[in-house]
Amino acid sequence: MRQTTLLLALLVPAGVSGLHAQTEYYARAGAVGASNLLRDVIVDEITVRQSIAPMVALGASVPMGARGYRVGLEATLASGKFHSTENGATTSLGTLRTGTLLLALEGPIRRELRWRAGLGGLHYWPADKTGIFRSGGTTRFLAGAGVDYRRPVLPKWDLMTSLRYDWHRFTTAELKDRGFSQTQGVSRLSLSVGLSRSAR
Amino acid sequence: MTRPARWTTLGLVAAAAACSDIANPIRNDFYEWRLITPSTTGPGEDSLTFHWPKDRLPVRIWVENAASLPENVPKAIAAWRTAFLYGEWDATLVSDSAAADVIVRAGGAPGTQFSQTRLHSALAPDCAGATDLNVSDDHTTLQLPVRVYIDPRSDPTSPALPACLALTTTHELGHVIGIWRHSGIATDLMYFDPGVSAPSDRDLATAEVIYHLPANVAPAGP
Repeated sequence: MRQTTLLLALLVPAGVSGLHAQTEYYARAGAVGASNLLRDVIVDEITVRQSIAPMVALGASVPMGARGYRVGLEATLASGKFHSTENGATTSLGTLRTGTLLLALEGPIRRELRWRAGLGGLHYWPADKTGIFRSGGTTRFLAGAGVDYRRPVLPKWDLMTSLRYDWHRFTTAELKDRGFSQTQGVSRLSLSVGLSRSAR
Repeated sequence: MTRPARWTTLGLVAAAAACSDIANPIRNDFYEWRLITPSTTGPGEDSLTFHWPKDRLPVRIWVENAASLPENVPKAIAAWRTAFLYGEWDATLVSDSAAADVIVRAGGAPGTQFSQTRLHSALAPDCAGATDLNVSDDHTTLQLPVRVYIDPRSDPTSPALPACLALTTTHELGHVIGIWRHSGIATDLMYFDPGVSAPSDRDLATAEVIYHLPANVAPAGP
């Protein structure tokens, strides 16, 4: 995963030298929610889930071809609580941070609306090495898609609103050690608002 | 296959993959943990199950500065903490014995009071342990604090003493967690005369399952 991240980080700048003037940068802040990280049954069903967490996103993209397509990298960081639920009773399990890096292709839908889809990785950083994260965090492959709405607010700046969906399969070294098999499909949805420095 | 059908199929495959769940292990390798005691309502026996409720966590433990207890009790807490995935149990050391849920002392256990149940452990010549549970006459309440005694019976310079103190401390903390009975297998730390240094998978599975079943004894006290 570290090699993939490094490769992605090197490829985009290397392939776009000379395109600096056409590079768009953006920063957004918002919130992300996720489906269950885990379902377990000891006596009754137990689920583990992240609470809706604040997030920030940073990204950049360069043009690719003449039809308005762009390719770019987007990194996000979210920090929030996670908890288990059993028979309706909730137990806080501490703080969980997630970071993602996505290489994405984007294209136009309508004038101010653009789609994007990409692949990358997601890392979980638990604040405490306990419970399902007793052996530490975990890195998973990630697929994501979304739409961006940009509205010019200044000559070079757009107000950017983004809706993102991403998906990965979750497990940890501790869960594997304890005999959990397969992985849990986790969907995440985020909504964020920010500013984009346009290339126009 | 037409293009829309291809995309529909692809979408359905992706949706199926996205919705599948992790498969949890089957946990059936645990042993009897309940304290079996004469019934209070007539002939027969009563089985007592106890675990610390979430609103009493972390369990507050006061430790006497003797018999390597300040070193061994935190290690014992860490060892038992590994049993739990979902924050079911935790403990912390406190300096004020008057506010403690559990008091751990060095030395032999004193004579028991009428209402106390004593769980003896370790028949090794080097050290012994005991946990006193003050359960109410109607078998519904555990009066706190739970008292644990770790008795270094041998010469302090005995090479076997440190290991005996460490495993006996961890064993007694197993009783504090809620394993109110001894395992019948010698490879478990909760065997009545333990020889292993850490909780076995069976010990950990037993501790875990206790916290997912209803208890019929509740703590009361400071």
